[in-house]
Amino acid sequence: MKRALIAGLATAALILTGCSEIDQKAKVEKVYAGKKDARPADDARFGGDRKKWEAALAERSKGQNEYLRTGAAKS
Amino acid sequence: MPRMKFICDAERCIECNGCVTACKNEHEVPWGVNRRRLVTVNDGKPGERSISVACMHCSDAPCMAVCPVDCFYKTEEGVVLHDKDLCIGCGYCFYACPFGAPQFPQAGAFGLRGKMDKCTFCAGGPEENHSKAEFAKYGRNRIAEGKLPACAEMCSTKALLAGDGAVIQSIYKTRVQTRKRGEEIWGWAMAYERGDKKAGAKA
Repeated sequence: MKRALIAGLATAALILTGCSEIDQKAKVEKVYAGKKDARPADDARFGGDRKKWEAALAERSKGQNEYLRTGAAKS
Repeated sequence: MPRMKFICDAERCIECNGCVTACKNEHEVPWGVNRRRLVTVNDGKPGERSISVACMHCSDAPCMAVCPVDCFYKTEEGVVLHDKDLCIGCGYCFYACPFGAPQFPQAGAFGLRGKMDKCTFCAGGPEENHSKAEFAKYGRNRIAEGKLPACAEMCSTKALLAGDGAVIQSIYKTRVQTRKRGEEIWGWAMAYERGDKKAGAKA
């Protein structure tokens, strides 16, 4: 009886291990090994002014909204 | 700080392949390589939907995680790029990518696999901006010119939106609220269940 109980508990514990989660995060941090890239705002037309570059891009992005361009919708 | 993203409005995409052509032309992409392509769900049936697919510039990009030579990097704007000088053309990134974005030119005999090529969000690569080397390896750098990717700018129905995630999300939200439908097109129901009937009934 005792043996069956121990065997039962051991089996239950073994089955339960299947529910556990193994950490799958990489142990070694991935570091880029290639050449350094220039920032887009460093381009001659923006002269390193990130705000100017962001404003130019935002203008283009908003231009994709024809509801705003034509004044057809609020927002 | 902008976080660059693409979104394709399946309600608007008319499967014209303008984005694919714009990309091929802008970067002079070689024969056999398609940085962008169209995927159509329920093709030929009422309520069919198409979306334009390329590298989605994932926040936690699996291609970066599996690359054995660590040739991938992410710009401050969230664009996933890679260094072709380091790439060994192993193809791991192709297997890892859920969108099939990495492409391999097969110009040589015996199925030779060249260095990986993929959508750069028109942001070039790790070479001097607007240099010949940058254009030859990665294509034109429109982002450094303050422009959006050519595919999105060329889209005639403005189905394909590109730019800062917050801005394009707001554009898409305005559309859905104005036309009072469209958000159901994205998701499980469209892809695997009664998407055709559901979308067809509302269209």
